Amino acid sequence: MSRAPLLPVRFQVGDAVEVLDLGKAGHVRTPHYVRHKRGEILQFCGYFLNPEALSVGDVSGPPVPLYRVRFRMKDLWPEEVRSEQDVLCIEIYDHWLTPATHPLPEDTP
Amino acid sequence: MSEPNPHTVHAHEHTIHDHDHDHDHHAPSLVMEDEAGNLDGQQLVDALQAVLVRKGILSPGEITLEIQAIEAPGTHLGAKIVARAWTDPGFKARLLANGKNGAAELGLKVGEAQLVVVENTAEEHNLIVCTLCSCYPRSLLGQPPSWYISKAYRARAVREPATVLREFGLALPAGTAIHVHDSNADMRFLVLPLRPPGTEHLDEPGLQALVTRDAMIGVAQALRP
Amino acid sequence: MRGYHDIGGKAAGPIEKIELPWQHWEKQVEAIRNLLGDATRRVLSLDELRLGFESFGEDKYLRYSFYRRRLEAMIDTLEKKGLITRDEVMQALEQVRANWQDLEACAAPTAER
Repeated sequence: MSRAPLLPVRFQVGDAVEVLDLGKAGHVRTPHYVRHKRGEILQFCGYFLNPEALSVGDVSGPPVPLYRVRFRMKDLWPEEVRSEQDVLCIEIYDHWLTPATHPLPEDTP
Repeated sequence: MSEPNPHTVHAHEHTIHDHDHDHDHHAPSLVMEDEAGNLDGQQLVDALQAVLVRKGILSPGEITLEIQAIEAPGTHLGAKIVARAWTDPGFKARLLANGKNGAAELGLKVGEAQLVVVENTAEEHNLIVCTLCSCYPRSLLGQPPSWYISKAYRARAVREPATVLREFGLALPAGTAIHVHDSNADMRFLVLPLRPPGTEHLDEPGLQALVTRDAMIGVAQALRP
Repeated sequence: MRGYHDIGGKAAGPIEKIELPWQHWEKQVEAIRNLLGDATRRVLSLDELRLGFESFGEDKYLRYSFYRRRLEAMIDTLEKKGLITRDEVMQALEQVRANWQDLEACAAPTAER
């Protein structure tokens, strides 16, 4: 039996990404508070079996690239941010990410 | 699926003050079992165990051993890692690059996929939460505290971390950035707290005694000597 | 379609800074789950367990304690997979309760030796 090639690692550290809302029912590990938000790839964590499939007993794969993505707190909670420097980091699977194409508003000092 | 028997769900109610109208206003953030609830839980798990043992899926001996295995880890294991990182810069660098490998150097096996150790500095303070459930480096630190599992912590730590930290008695300088880590997938996280001042004379066991579970989650600093 | 467990960022009250002791039955729940998910069995993964408590209904999610949720989700999922039935568990529970009462009767302080 031939093994399928690994899914491509589509993003590199520093890439600007946006979290998709895939509208999936069932067990997903992408919380709503980061959906549609723009962040930056912090780290590539490796390949892992997709929990969405594992939750229904499907262990056949393929394993999916997993990244840690960093968000500025001010982009997540604009009304409440304590500091420009505060960030939130979270793990996001590759298929939940798309390249962020729009620039963020310029920070005013 | 059977409905919960109202006599089998016992809880001390701590009502949350909730501004979110699709929440049940009377639902406690942390449901605590009273004596009757604990008895119900014990009897129900004994019943499940009896069925699984009868079917040959589990044996009682291995359940006993597994309970011992999950009781064994605790704060003391994380403290060993922290104290070594405080005293050995090469180890610290390796630990920050690969936490599982770093722990293995000390003979500590991390059972989860990977351990990410995040370092507190004067500029950055780290805080760990799992908003979706209760992910925690259990193979190292053991059981997470009840508050870590509570809905209030899970909901608020990612949104108002400074306020949450103040509730734990930790006030950060305005110039320190807060880095919140939502442990939602395959990584597990451990905070490397700042080494307290006035500890230069302490050996590793002396340093280990200063490292608390709460400091490794990020809601506290390490103790001062 | 937001799950009732997906609560990051929702408004909530004070955090209960309480240290609850880890009960024996709670450890037993975790031990059984670990063994069911181990490499020799693979009959209940963590993600299957999580799907269980994410889908058994918001009422149970709000009213059950953390370990009770896991125990209930474990029973539900094992039943869904055809390994046990809840009826079997309930019958075993009756037996457990009967044994418990027998033990309590034996332990009565007025028992004569």
